[in-house]
This record gives sequence, structure tokens and C-alpha cells, in this order.
Amino acid sequence: MKEKIKKIMSLVFEIPSESIEDNATIDVIENWDSLNHMNLIVALEEDFNVRFTDEDILHLLSLPKIEERIQMLTK
Amino acid sequence: MKYTELLKLNTELKDKVQNNPVYDITVLSNSIVNQIRPYLEFILRKEGINVNVHLGNYDNIVQDAALVQNQHLVIIFWDLCNLIDGFQYKSDLFSEESLTEIIEKTKEEIDLVFELLEKVPKVIMNRFSSIPFNNSLAKSNAFDLAKEQLNSYLNKKRDNVYYVDIDKVFSIVSISKALDFRNYYSSKALYTIEFYEAYTRFIAPVIYSVNGKGKKALILDCDNTLWDGIIGEDGMLNIKMSSKDSKGAPYEEVQSIVKVLAENGIIICLNSKNNIDDVNEVLEKHSDMILKDEHIVLKMVNWKDKVSNLKEIAAKLNIGLDSFVFVDDSDFEIELVKKYLPQVQVVKVPENRYMYPEVFRNATNSFFSTSSTREDSRRIESYKLNLKRSEARTKHSSIENYLASLELNMKIHCDDQKCAERMAQLSQKTNQFNLTTKRYTVSEIVNFITSKKWKTYVFEISDKFGDFGITGMALVEINDDVASIDTFLMSCRVIGRNLEFAFIENIISDLQKTGIKNVIANYYYTLKNAQVMTFYDEVGFICLSSISGQKKYAIKLDSFSFKNYSYIKINHERKN
Repeated sequence: MKEKIKKIMSLVFEIPSESIEDNATIDVIENWDSLNHMNLIVALEEDFNVRFTDEDILHLLSLPKIEERIQMLTK
Repeated sequence: MKYTELLKLNTELKDKVQNNPVYDITVLSNSIVNQIRPYLEFILRKEGINVNVHLGNYDNIVQDAALVQNQHLVIIFWDLCNLIDGFQYKSDLFSEESLTEIIEKTKEEIDLVFELLEKVPKVIMNRFSSIPFNNSLAKSNAFDLAKEQLNSYLNKKRDNVYYVDIDKVFSIVSISKALDFRNYYSSKALYTIEFYEAYTRFIAPVIYSVNGKGKKALILDCDNTLWDGIIGEDGMLNIKMSSKDSKGAPYEEVQSIVKVLAENGIIICLNSKNNIDDVNEVLEKHSDMILKDEHIVLKMVNWKDKVSNLKEIAAKLNIGLDSFVFVDDSDFEIELVKKYLPQVQVVKVPENRYMYPEVFRNATNSFFSTSSTREDSRRIESYKLNLKRSEARTKHSSIENYLASLELNMKIHCDDQKCAERMAQLSQKTNQFNLTTKRYTVSEIVNFITSKKWKTYVFEISDKFGDFGITGMALVEINDDVASIDTFLMSCRVIGRNLEFAFIENIISDLQKTGIKNVIANYYYTLKNAQVMTFYDEVGFICLSSISGQKKYAIKLDSFSFKNYSYIKINHERKN
């Protein structure tokens, strides 16, 4: 799942998938700003077939948090 | 198509079009619409256009309009609900007077924006809509009335502007699928990706037409395409094309659409297997014919295959086959053209003839706006006039007049403990307009406020329409006669009003009064704050060094020249 998320992030942020660290956060990825964050959210929702709450959207600011939340939603 | 698939296609297409001339689009908005970008990129890149999509600052339509005059296309999302924060529910609470004031202000802003965008070849602006927030559909409320007043104001003719009836897009997608309120209250983002996909498809013909990708010629078969029946077999008396007859009715409608297209400069040609004399007789003598000989540019009526005829039309008129729309009732002919001339858009007359007018109307949407050829010469005249007008007026002053009309009021608090909590919050949350991005807690801030070695400044801003609260701050460390600006930041919500310049000039003048001779300042680059990289240069500081993203500045106060932003009224509040 981590790899799939990285792939989505690489498409949204226009950076190579390999450059994304396992513990990547909004602070270390240049193109990850509040606007692109909304794009990341819709991409994740479609590809994992999940729907996040507004609270989720505010807090899913790192790869580990995203992975954890999707795991919970797809259980 | 999934969003990630779209992104993938976009990257592939980007490489393919990278050597073509760049086409610049800016989207201005008073809400967050950044998700439109990949959809715009896609519809343009797939036509070979090397597009660059820029997004204006949030809620800065007027200010940004002054900066985008070199763009090829500007798209404006001016959402009614954000005319002022919460307009969708506040509109019903307002007195008639304040409502009128807001509407009049918006009208002025519209005029100013269109004046500033006069030279942009194409501007696409959405009509105002109340649908996203309208529950009492049967009864009009103040929000509806505001919409109607503003939309009727948009009816003023402006040559380079195309208005999008956004309610049509809502009806294609459905309201519930077009809106997502999850990001509305936190980020003022309202629309879903389904909406953006439908929206860009809706406006694509407009964009193509200004890119020379629009359709120019409509090529029509005759039998069962222009009339019901076969002239060579049924004869003049039995072919039908009039609404007096249910079989003829769809053809009367289609012929009328063709006539309007012809009158608007679309090239109409015939491509039919028939005897030319038979067809000419219908054109000249059949009293039900709406389409006449004079509407038709070229008649390829013969027994040759239709592909050769189409090629010949293209050669004779010297226009590309990709600007053709070809209509025929025969599967055989349609398939042949599809196979050998895939660049031609084909339209098959549906078996159920009642569907024909609708299919025809949809297909001829691609003739958008090339349909104003007749007006082109007039348009060029009006461009020339506009050019003269705008030369006579400096843009700079009109923006300043606009800012002056806002009645900006800045209240500066110096060393005010009441502000500590908000200051800590600003230092922690502000990323973009933040020169040094130092984060402080409330207790650290309180220390700065009470310390004799520090001066703290915050500003509160309001204008004639409302209050933005505390949206900017600066922390300054004092060492004898040298002041060093440790923190200087501002919320993005108030960018574009020159507040930052007025603020720093007031700080400088305040420091001067307390005997400061020199001011030092720093800019530390972060991933988010590139937009303020040259802020101190603009203020008039001297850059002493610039090493790996860290810039050091200084200025002697006796040589500082104040620009004085007279349209921002300033009050000081001092608590020591």
C-alpha cells in the first residue's frame, strides 16, 4: 500500500516516486502545499475507493498517517 | 477517467507538446479552484497546445487582473457566495442599503477587471449562480436577486469576454455531485473534480476557437440529411423538409440551424452522390427549402467517393481537414470518412429522426465563436479604440484608485499583550508571506512584548465591507541604535493591497522616532516562501549578502525614502 500511495503522491506532486521517503511529511515535499493537498486527497479517494472526513483532510499531512487511515477505512 | 489517470496522461502529453509555442492561461478566483488545472492542461495538450496554467491568488481578482495582461486566456471564477465571506446567508440579513452597496461595489470591480483585461485575447467568466446555496427554490431570496442584478450587469457587451452559463454545467453534473463542502468552510474550495471535468469540456470549444483549433466548415450530404427522402427517386413533390409534415419537421429545424451558421461565417458545403441538376432544382425551386444556394460555398455533387470530395474541398478552400464537420445519414459513408480521414469530425443522422436536431445542435457547438466572422472587422475597430483608451490611462493609478475606494483601515498595535495569542498562532501557521519562518509559542511572544530589548508590532485590517482582524506582525530586536527585524509576516488573505509596504514603513518611522539609525533584516528561503524573496529589495533595503537561500539586508534610516501609501488610513494603538 505504501508504494501505491507513493505513486499517487509522485503523480500529484510531479516528483519521482523514489524520492519520497517512507516518513515523508508536508514539510519536506516542496509541492505539497495546502492546495495540492486537496488534489492528493481526491486522488487517494478515487484510487483506494474511500472517503475521508473533513477532519481527516486537515490531519493527513504525512505518508504514515495517510497509510494508517486508509488501512482503517479499507478493513 | 480517474484523476490519477488524467495526471499520468498529462505528463505524457506534456513531453509531446513541449516544443510548441507556449499558451498561457491564468485562472482568477475568489474561491479556491486549483483543481481545475489538470483538466485545463488535458483538454489543451491533447490538441497539441503547449499550455501553461497559472492560478491567481485567492480572493485577489481585481489586483491580479492588473498582472495578467500578457496572458492568452484568463478564466474568472467569481463566486457569488464569496462576494463577502458568507454572502449566501448574510444576504438575507442585510438591509436593502448594504445589499445595494455590495452589489454596486461588485459592479465597479467587474468594470475595473474588464478594463484591466482589455488586451487579453480571450476572457472566460462564469455568470453568477445562486444554485449551490438555494434551498427554497420556489421563492426568490436576496441571494437570488443579487445574482440577477449582477448577471444583467454582465450583459453589457464586451468583445473579448465569453460568459459561461455555469448553471448549465451544474445541470450536466447535478448539484450534489458538483459540490463538496468538506473544504468549503476551511479553505473556500467548493467544487468537485466531476464539476471541473464537465466545466472544462463545456468551455473547450471557446478555447479551441481562439487557438485555431475550432471548426470552420460544415459539409453536408443531401438526401435524408437536408431533407426526408431521395430526390433522384422520390422527386420534388415527395421529399419533405417542412414542419407542416412530421417527417419533414426535424429537417426544417436542422436547415434553420445551418442557415444561422452560414450567416455567421461558417463555410457550408455539399458532398452528395446525386445529379447536380436535381440538387440545384431543389435549392432554387422547392418552396420549403430554408437553405438557399447563396448559403452554400461549394457543391461537390457528383458520383465520386466522399473522401476524395472532402479532400478536394479542403484543397480548394485552403483550410485543414481537421476544421471540418461532416454530416451524412449513411453508415457506409461515415465509416469510410472515419477510416481515411480521422481528423474530420463526423455526425451520423440518427435512425430516430426526432433525435436529429438535438444531435445536430450538440455537434455544431464545436463551431463556437468562429461564428462571429462577420463581426471580425468591427471587432478589430473596437480593439483599436480600446488600445487608445488604455494608453491614455495608467494602470497603476486605476489600481490605486480601486484600493482607495476600499477605505482600508490599518490599526497598528505596538507591544500589546492582548495580541499575544494571535501572534503566536500567526507565527506558527504562516508559511507563504513569512520572511524568516521562525515559530514562537505564546510565552515566548509575551517575553518579547514585555522585554525592553524588543519591539513587537501587529496590524489589524478592515475595509468598508468588513473586518479581517489581526493579519500581520513584526518582531524587532533593538541593540543600541540598530534594530534587527527578526520576524515579518502577513496572512495570505490580505495580500494584494500593499499593506505590507505601509506596515513596514510605519515600523521604520516608529523606530526612527526612538533614535534607531540602522535596520537589519533577513530573508530565509523555505519551500513555501519564495513569493517574498524580493520583498526587502522592493521596500528599498540594500542586500548585503545572499548565500544558499539566506539573504541579509540593511538600511540606514536617514537615507530611507518613504513612499507613503496614502489610501491606507493608519491608527496607532500603544500599550507599554
